[in-house]
Amino acid sequence: MFKALIEPFRHPKLGLGLGEARGLGAANSRKPKAKARDSRAALKRIWSYLAKRKAKLTLVLLMVMFSSGLSLLGPYLISRAVDHYLEGSGGRPWLLFLITLALVYLLNALTSWLQNIWMIEIAQETVLRMRADLFTHLHRLPISFFNRRQQGEIMSRLTNDIENISSTLNSSAIQIFSSVLTLVGTVGVMLWLSPLLTLLTFIVVPLMTLGMRWITRRTGPLFKERQKNMGELNGFIEETLSGQRIIKAFSQEERVIAGFRERNNRIMLSGYWAQSISGFIPKLMNGLNNLSFAIVAGVGGLLAIRGIVTVGVIIAFVEYTRQFTRPLNDLANQWNTLLSAIAGAERVFEVLDEPTEAKDEGAAVSLERVNGAVTFTDVSFSYDGENETLHGISFEAKPGEMIALVGPTGAGKTTLIGLLSRFYDPDKGRITLDGKDLTKVKRESLRSHMAFVLQDTFLFRGTIRDNIRYGKLDASDEEVEAAARLAGAHPFIMRLHGGYERMLSVGGGGISQGQKQLLAIARAILADPSMLVLDEATSSIDTVTEIKIQEGLRTLMKGRTSFVIAHRLGTVRAADRILVLRGGRLEQQGTHDELLRQGGLYSDLVRGAAKEQGEA
Amino acid sequence: MNIIFVYLKKYRVAAIAALLMMLIELSVELAQPYLISKIIDSGIQQRDTGVVWLWGGVLAGSAVIAFGAGVLSSFFAAHASQGFAFDLREKLYKRVQSFTYAVFSRFETSSLITRLTQDVTQLQDTIFMGLRFMTRVPLVVLGSVLMALIVHVRLGLMLAVTLPLLIVFLLWMLKRSSALFRSVQQRLDDVNGSIQENLTGIRLIRIFVRMGHEISRFAARSGELMQATVAALRLTETTAPLIMLIVNIVILAVLWYGRIEISTGDATLGQTVAVINYSLRTIGAMSALSGIMATFSRARASAGRVEEVMAADAAGSEWTGSPEHAHAKTAPVDPNGRMRAEKVKPIRGKVEFRKVGFSYPGSGLAVLEDVSFTVHPGQRVAILGATGSGKSSLVGLIPRLYEQSAGEILVDDIPVAGMDIARLRGAIGYVPQEVLLFSGTVRDNIAWGDEHATQAQIERAAAAAQIHDTVAELPLGYDTLLGQRGVNLSGGQKQRLSIARALVRRPPILILDDSTSALDAVTEGRLLDELQQLSCTTFLITQKISSSVSADLILLLDEGRLIASGTHPELMASSPLYRAICESQDREAWDHVQSIN
Repeated sequence: MFKALIEPFRHPKLGLGLGEARGLGAANSRKPKAKARDSRAALKRIWSYLAKRKAKLTLVLLMVMFSSGLSLLGPYLISRAVDHYLEGSGGRPWLLFLITLALVYLLNALTSWLQNIWMIEIAQETVLRMRADLFTHLHRLPISFFNRRQQGEIMSRLTNDIENISSTLNSSAIQIFSSVLTLVGTVGVMLWLSPLLTLLTFIVVPLMTLGMRWITRRTGPLFKERQKNMGELNGFIEETLSGQRIIKAFSQEERVIAGFRERNNRIMLSGYWAQSISGFIPKLMNGLNNLSFAIVAGVGGLLAIRGIVTVGVIIAFVEYTRQFTRPLNDLANQWNTLLSAIAGAERVFEVLDEPTEAKDEGAAVSLERVNGAVTFTDVSFSYDGENETLHGISFEAKPGEMIALVGPTGAGKTTLIGLLSRFYDPDKGRITLDGKDLTKVKRESLRSHMAFVLQDTFLFRGTIRDNIRYGKLDASDEEVEAAARLAGAHPFIMRLHGGYERMLSVGGGGISQGQKQLLAIARAILADPSMLVLDEATSSIDTVTEIKIQEGLRTLMKGRTSFVIAHRLGTVRAADRILVLRGGRLEQQGTHDELLRQGGLYSDLVRGAAKEQGEA
Repeated sequence: MNIIFVYLKKYRVAAIAALLMMLIELSVELAQPYLISKIIDSGIQQRDTGVVWLWGGVLAGSAVIAFGAGVLSSFFAAHASQGFAFDLREKLYKRVQSFTYAVFSRFETSSLITRLTQDVTQLQDTIFMGLRFMTRVPLVVLGSVLMALIVHVRLGLMLAVTLPLLIVFLLWMLKRSSALFRSVQQRLDDVNGSIQENLTGIRLIRIFVRMGHEISRFAARSGELMQATVAALRLTETTAPLIMLIVNIVILAVLWYGRIEISTGDATLGQTVAVINYSLRTIGAMSALSGIMATFSRARASAGRVEEVMAADAAGSEWTGSPEHAHAKTAPVDPNGRMRAEKVKPIRGKVEFRKVGFSYPGSGLAVLEDVSFTVHPGQRVAILGATGSGKSSLVGLIPRLYEQSAGEILVDDIPVAGMDIARLRGAIGYVPQEVLLFSGTVRDNIAWGDEHATQAQIERAAAAAQIHDTVAELPLGYDTLLGQRGVNLSGGQKQRLSIARALVRRPPILILDDSTSALDAVTEGRLLDELQQLSCTTFLITQKISSSVSADLILLLDEGRLIASGTHPELMASSPLYRAICESQDREAWDHVQSIN
């Protein structure tokens, strides 16, 4: 019954998150029910977070009860004053009365202050824990999760949705509780004071319901429309700003501005109507409030003349009617905030419920030392369970060997590396490291023996020194610089403004692609791993620089099993073993000379390439 | 906050109308306690039903009027705030587009996006609320005090004397809380930034097994956020109970003094009740204050961020003379955003650098020093050099993404600094190092270079860029949708697509900023052959000798200086560094192996 009472007052703007979620399931009539159960589940989980501060929460609820009761007592006491004291005389009871009233006011202020202060602490602690859980969980999710999802979408769950929960817990949660208490209490006291006047005051409630229904029926679609337009505009802004360099170079400013204007216009139109009509809601509340005020004053006055009610009762009613509509209004707003927070919480919990990177099996071990003997036995893998990216791969890498991976884009080189580092596990076949099944080795332990220099070099916001030190957190400044020297990064760092202390923004803006890779190589050198993966690590480094780092890389690879996806024949020729991949299959393997002798694909290609070069 | 008034000015009629409507509503509400006191004193006390009916009727009638005024104010306020947001958003976006690239780079893209979306919306909501509620609150307070004084001077004074106290208290609170909320916002940005960074770098973090490190760093940051939030909210949440307490004390005083006045006949019961009622209304209005304060300080922060963008242009002009801003006003552009052909003499593609020097704004380090060379129309220039030797900066100067700090750059013998920037850039096809595709179909992306391109032209450009066959194999061909930044294509395919985008303009000058790095040698060779036929002046930043051999001019850069220039045989003879590069590179076109399919 409570929900039915509130429903018509709901401000559609805030409830949209949920509205949309429901919209998705609209085709299936059973969905809404499932949705409600989800909401309940989400609420239950929020509660399980809150419950960690049960004692304090109980105190808060107690304070809410006190303050609601005390705020009801205020107007009542004033009506008593009007009826019994103001026009009378006499000393003691009047003084006692004033003291009582003062106490009520003081306690009211105190309890409502305490309830807010305590609730804020509980709420913020809760949000802190949720954030931490989410963040920790994120680092346990399999990499495939991040391939599947758009980064912006995950981001919005971690930021907007959590913020939403935070602000709701801060105020809405206890406001809803106190609104309900005040509402029930007010109606109770009103009925007790004068049932007749109460009934007359409630004439406005059906009017309110009708009005609200009229408004929300119109604003719902309008807000949806506006939200859609807003999303489009935001997408447009994001894309055109990210692509600013291209827009400038192609001199397309006028064109994107025109595109922007069109979307901006759409948003203004839909926003105008949505805002206007939803703006009626407080006005309607106000208007009906004024109307009930008139009823109380007018009819109350007539009743008072006949002696049915006292002046004090009228005074109390004037205040109570205001107290009656205010919580209704609050409730309507808070209810929406609450619903959208629950919708947000569901989205947050959805991430928390994503299965983590397959738990390391119970028997999984940590490796103290790794020699780096790797075998692949008939390994197959597919990302989607249908199209195999790798098919029946078998090979062997002895400790300290350098393995070159060769093949066109999409041949499966990067996937193979992904399997080796256990970002994914093979569907079929077996990978072993030093004779141990890789799935029996703890991921963290495995990776702590490997270092990667990946195709997309990622740099953090921080100094260059911090970025290199990421390879070994406790490295000294000297070690960092030694690694940078080995990688050939030292000279360019010294020429940068600020040198090693130069701040890099996210993604390493301000330095070139090649310089980023040099830093990544320095990072790997510092990590001092047993196994090394270079994934087209040198593709953006020009030859001059490469000559300089070759020595460093050679030092780095010495005594470590290395897997290199390289473009240059020089690198490949030096490999102990070359794996020629094509379409997810291992076409050939062996040393450069072996493969040449063997004839077949590899030698054809090398010879063909040389020939073509000669003709050109 | 100034910005609000500047942009609201255009909608002042609607804004003032909204405020007027709100005033009507307000006066009705302020009259209520007064009317009640009439009902009590002349109606109930005198047992006069006529008076009760009269004032009761007036109350009901004014309620209807107030409602009507409220509804109208909603329309007016929506009109003003939506119009405001439209104008501001457009102006802001235009301003961002008019930035020189150097100024643009000073902002983080994500922060510009926030300013354009969330901050503008925040200001819009604030105006809508402001025209309907926020201005109302101080008016209710002032009006209540005034009415209380009118009803009974001495009783009203009780309320009036506390007013300055309340105002001072509130102002102090506003100042404190906005400082606190600023720090909350900063911490929140830190936390969100750290999430963003972790999402982007998730693979690296896994590989280096730095989860624990990241988690504890994040915990520290979010702990700070929590503390800041609690501190800020604790302050604002103290405001409401304290104000309530102060006004309640006033009510106590009114009761106490009212009783004395009534007994001496200096006040009536109705008057006392009315003053109490006005005091209660003051509490009601003030309880909305903490919310308004929060909105207000958020709005102020948003306005500050928006103003920063608006002001950035002037700051950037110290360095660039903001030519692009001027261009935005003067460029000859037809409604389609395309240059009028008859006004523009086609650019042939001669490019000359005369003693050009360049350093990025704010850094003293010279990126380029004393670079001079001349390229004739249709020639191909290969630019080689070590990482960070200034290759990208050099080609970035030609379309004036940056402005040189010394020397002169001429295109067709005209200094680019004096050239209409739209005309200059219209003649340049630029393929950046990092591939950037827009959401939309393959066709959209190629036609992005020239929106009037026909299907045949698009296909020709795609074929020249060696991507046509790949596109044709896609299930929907040229109508295949690309995700944001083209997620479903390989790096090499995206690179070729962005080359096609540049080629579709049939530019006299083509710049390939290391944009063939993900291509294998065969594909690259075919691409270069195609470029030969297009006979455009081509700047090719490359690391491969194979693609520099056939160039008409090779520029070898080292640490920002042009240390050698000439043809392949010339450089082989004269430059030891060039010879070293050649020797180090395998001439066996190894990349062919990688290209087999």
